[in-house]
Amino acid sequence: MKEGCLLCQIAAEKIPSYKVYEDDLVIAVLDVNGANPGHCFVMPKEHYPILEQVPDNVLGNLFIAANKISSAIFEALKVQGTNIFLRNGIPAGQTVAHFMINVIPRQENDGVNLQWKPKQLNEEELSTVELKFKEEIKNTGVRAIESTPKVETASKETTAEPVIDDEDDYVMKQLKRIP
Amino acid sequence: MAEQPQQQMSEEQVKALQEKLKQMSPEELKEFQKKQCIFCQIISGKVQSRKVYEDEHVLAILDINPANPGHLLIMPKEHYSIMPQIPEEEVTHIFLATKTLSNASLRALEVQGSNIIVANGVAAGQRAQHFMVHLIPRKDNDDVNFEVPQKTIPEDELQKVQKTLSESLGAKVEQAKQGAVPTPLVPKETSVVEAEFKEKPIKKQIKNKKTKKLPKKKAIKKTKQKKQTEQKQENVNLDDIADILGAK
Repeated sequence: MKEGCLLCQIAAEKIPSYKVYEDDLVIAVLDVNGANPGHCFVMPKEHYPILEQVPDNVLGNLFIAANKISSAIFEALKVQGTNIFLRNGIPAGQTVAHFMINVIPRQENDGVNLQWKPKQLNEEELSTVELKFKEEIKNTGVRAIESTPKVETASKETTAEPVIDDEDDYVMKQLKRIP
Repeated sequence: MAEQPQQQMSEEQVKALQEKLKQMSPEELKEFQKKQCIFCQIISGKVQSRKVYEDEHVLAILDINPANPGHLLIMPKEHYSIMPQIPEEEVTHIFLATKTLSNASLRALEVQGSNIIVANGVAAGQRAQHFMVHLIPRKDNDDVNFEVPQKTIPEDELQKVQKTLSESLGAKVEQAKQGAVPTPLVPKETSVVEAEFKEKPIKKQIKNKKTKKLPKKKAIKKTKQKKQTEQKQENVNLDDIADILGAK
């Protein structure tokens, strides 16, 4: 726990919060100033400022938790969609030095806008970016995912294809979308 | 999001298709979607793309309508339309790849941050039917603005939502405990895509074409130099970014 970090204190339950989920490594609470009711933060209990510093096993639990919460939001809050949104670093809009994942319930015209104006890059610029990435990954990147960590809370039973029998099921709706 | 242009269909065609979809089993629907899915075609190599990373389970390509240079689409090779359909071990793998690629973008593109966006459902901004993670490199004043309004949610509503969600999640945790321990995905082979790609864009129709040109990138440093400074660079870079956030 890092002194002076609000989220560390929330994770340690020294500050009251609306907790919705917790495991050994992560905790999820409602954002009291959320974009929509049900907007949650999923965060590691340990203090890590940015994504790159979060250990792989913690990261696994964080995104599994985010996915569970996203599913629960679909099922229990009957929303039309969810966003998983991360701000990593100040230019990306991060304001608190404790890594967190936003899970945001979505409805049409709810004021949330995660779209962008596409920038046009010419072929040369694209090739340069592509090459830079490949170089970097070749030199350093791959080792980071050589060993996928064991997922502690996971279960084959519950992660199998969801049982779909309801017309209004949100998973079924996704399958029936007109391409 | 800007990855797939909307296709136009007449009302009758839509109706006929809806009827057809109603008759299908979930398995048939998934097959049907796969056949229509441009990203499945990219993954199988039928459609050209600029691949920057590939392993047994995921593929990362450059978005052709990027929010910023280096905007990546990271997707599972298996077709899923939304995140709740994806098995947990695969979720882990996808986001570990995302972390690696975010790290790579910080160092290779000299950016100071990244946004990661997943959209589940049309209302969330999803356009493609293939689940994907958007990784957007960020710099100061790069003219990318995401709006997440801060609303004051009444206390009674917070309490109600907390109860509903934690009950729903509690049920999921219980189910998980009863299940077997899963075997994690271990990529057998990880390799950078070395093939040469033809300079053929995935899609030719780009609406609202803007010809804003970005400054030409500096030439890539030599591999030799990079290898020597690699470890040092990584530490410096991350610490700097964390420092600015007041982590130290």
